[in-house]
Amino acid sequence: MTLGAFARRLGQAVLVLALAYTAAFVLLSALPGDAIMARYGSPDLGLTPQQLDEIRVSYGADQPVFLRYLDSIWAFLHGDFGYSVHSGASVSALLAEALPSTLTLASIALVGAVFLAVTIAFTASFGRGAWLRRAVRNLPPLFVSLPVFWIGIVLIQVFSFKLGLIPVIGASPAQALILPSITLMIPIAAPLAQVFLRSIDEVREQPFVNVVRARGASTSWLLWRNVAPNALLPALTMAGLLFGELVGGAIVTEAVFGRVGIGALTAQAVAQRDTPVLLAVVVIAAAVFVTINLIVDLLYPVLDARLRQKHSIGVAA
Amino acid sequence: MKKRHLSWIAAAAACAIALTGCSASTAGGDASGSAAEGATLTYLEPQTWNTLYPPAGGFYPNGGVLNQITDRLLYQNPETKELEPWIAAELPEVNDDATEYTFKIREGVTYSDGTPLNAENVVKNLDLFGLGDKDAALPVSEAINNYDHGEAVDEYTAKFFFTAPSPGFGQAVSTINSGLISNDTLDRTNEQFGPGNAAEIIGSGPFVITDEKLGSELTFETREDYNWAPPSNEHQGAAQIAGIDLIVASEASVRVGTVTSGQADIARTIPAPDEAQFAAPGLSLVAAPTNGVNNGLNFRAGHELLSDIDVRRAIIAGIDREAIVETLFSDSYPLATGVLAKGALGYTDTSEFYVHDPKLAEKLLDEAGWKPGSDGVREKDGQRLSLTFNEALPQPRSRDVVTLVQEQLAPLGIEVSLFSGDQAAQDQAVQDANTIQVYHSMVGRADYDVLKSQLFSANRNTLRNLDTATGKVFDQKLDDLLAEIASVPTADERQAASAAAQQYLAEEAYVLPFFEESQVYGLSDKVQGFETESIGRPSFYDVTIAE
Repeated sequence: MTLGAFARRLGQAVLVLALAYTAAFVLLSALPGDAIMARYGSPDLGLTPQQLDEIRVSYGADQPVFLRYLDSIWAFLHGDFGYSVHSGASVSALLAEALPSTLTLASIALVGAVFLAVTIAFTASFGRGAWLRRAVRNLPPLFVSLPVFWIGIVLIQVFSFKLGLIPVIGASPAQALILPSITLMIPIAAPLAQVFLRSIDEVREQPFVNVVRARGASTSWLLWRNVAPNALLPALTMAGLLFGELVGGAIVTEAVFGRVGIGALTAQAVAQRDTPVLLAVVVIAAAVFVTINLIVDLLYPVLDARLRQKHSIGVAA
Repeated sequence: MKKRHLSWIAAAAACAIALTGCSASTAGGDASGSAAEGATLTYLEPQTWNTLYPPAGGFYPNGGVLNQITDRLLYQNPETKELEPWIAAELPEVNDDATEYTFKIREGVTYSDGTPLNAENVVKNLDLFGLGDKDAALPVSEAINNYDHGEAVDEYTAKFFFTAPSPGFGQAVSTINSGLISNDTLDRTNEQFGPGNAAEIIGSGPFVITDEKLGSELTFETREDYNWAPPSNEHQGAAQIAGIDLIVASEASVRVGTVTSGQADIARTIPAPDEAQFAAPGLSLVAAPTNGVNNGLNFRAGHELLSDIDVRRAIIAGIDREAIVETLFSDSYPLATGVLAKGALGYTDTSEFYVHDPKLAEKLLDEAGWKPGSDGVREKDGQRLSLTFNEALPQPRSRDVVTLVQEQLAPLGIEVSLFSGDQAAQDQAVQDANTIQVYHSMVGRADYDVLKSQLFSANRNTLRNLDTATGKVFDQKLDDLLAEIASVPTADERQAASAAAQQYLAEEAYVLPFFEESQVYGLSDKVQGFETESIGRPSFYDVTIAE
């Protein structure tokens, strides 16, 4: 990739971030009620509309939407994420608390999902016995159709409550990761396995496979040296896209398992209409998503010689 | 080829890093995992607390924390509802028209930061709670009416002055909303009372918050030098458990499962369908009454669709309350017999007004001129009898309740729709009778004032008796009756005023109460001595844990 192409790609990424931020801001402002309402509007506090308006003024929430938008962008560019309207905690403190936990969960789940997907795809393609291959081939559609919260609750019920293997309360950090990562792993592994399986099928149809076989290659040589690398590309694209699933899954998983994390933070912020927190989460999620896809794009030529060739031909022409 | 190898190595390295990261945290976990020494109570909360400013203690998760770390001037006996001395050495001296209260403060009480709890501090507390502080964005306590100012007469005598009779003040200073906090804590802003600051909120209660994991956990330690429990309490001195681990578990099945499997000791909010699981040996349920305005519907008579009393009567006659309570709830939620719960101060039985009679409903609607339209929904003067209900998110199964009401009223030609949306949207919507015509709600507070809190035009105004846009009051008589409750000085007069207001609410068909709402706790039998304060917040001071 040339420097110009790279810069263009980076520009796109920044544009996506700006659009995501603006869309989130506009949507949150358009909803009825606001964070002040969410925090002080509860009839439990019995505040009159006049008192609510006074609080709104003291938070600067009475200013026109456009001014607030500019203010928040200006603050964001300075790295100031502001304060949660609901709890008053600084958004950066909330993120610092939540991010490591979610990243740990997400990366373990992703690694586990890739492992699971590869196992499923290879077993379904090269497993011993047609019945095994057929059975395993049906796993991804099954996994895709299981709702995340259901998996989580079933795992807790069986492994924690019935068998008593892993405590939910008072678990060590490692124990506390086991069930949530399996919960998150399953719905992510499913589409990955499906894509991987499909591209293995396609690659096996290619003429070169027969040539390699004719030259005496064993199945495992064929698999690891020829089929797998060629089938990897679509699966990698999918893995990049699955980050979205990872965030969505984390929201549910963290709620079910009572874990601190970006997911739980997002769910709470949505329920409480906590605009500064939501905006920060949107920007961070979009930034990670954009970065991952940027990396995936940059990896294509590294992984696939054809893309390098095409590119050099293009330059030569 | 070389590059391909590199990428595989990189992937392997990434895996290795992830794995070591994981094992490193294992080691750390084992070291801190031995926290379960001694008898520490594990308590599960469905929601995270959002502020420890005492007047905002009405939100149950806040109250559940405040009740462990703060004491109050007076103690309301949860059984008799009588007020007893606590931090006040004796019951206050009150003048004849209840505009001046004099409290003698108990000597020797200290906050957990070592500062003394004296008259000056008590005055500072109530000045803040009674007047609020706009600069710090701290609102006035709903429980304190007509507050003017306080004075420290001497080191242990505090006197409070009111602009008008404030007969509810004695009860108000017994609630969590008047939990006493140290001078430094009183100087905090609204934000500084929020999450992240829990360990800095200093009370004089039997427990002290020592650690906070934002949004998920609070750790309480027992204060060894605590020695000022309410005198009527059998147990005195420090609490008998080492501390409390408060853990947020929003998923109901997880709360139920952790208690039934013995991983936690006690959990709040056990859904009615799960209650049966606690019938097993070694487990029990505590359904703590909230002793206030019952869970029910408020008809906003100021709205044109509901301004005709016959329409309101027809809706009440059309709703089968027994069926709703039987279908959706359990014995922990007794059918309401009046606007107030049986245990509430001022309770009057008005159940004769809530008889299920669909025939009568049809007759009333026919006579009022509402004729079934082409789609079965009744119409009159081009208007459809179509009402919007809110979803009371904090109340149990509100959506299901409204759905059943919808099914019951549909055959009568009354269309019911549910306003869905998050808490902010609901709070905004219920302000306007044009958006929400029927408001589903409840409120718990063990004082005569609770009725006024809920319905009075200048308080929660649940009937929208006051249209805030025009400033017009729809039913002045109702407002006068409610105001009376909070302005007559003696208990007998307040009882009579409260009963008169309830009778009027029933006769005018303004409110349809469904059931007495309880706070349902599920607990292991190892936990002994668990009690709640007068409206169902947990109190762990008397708890012991059997091994």
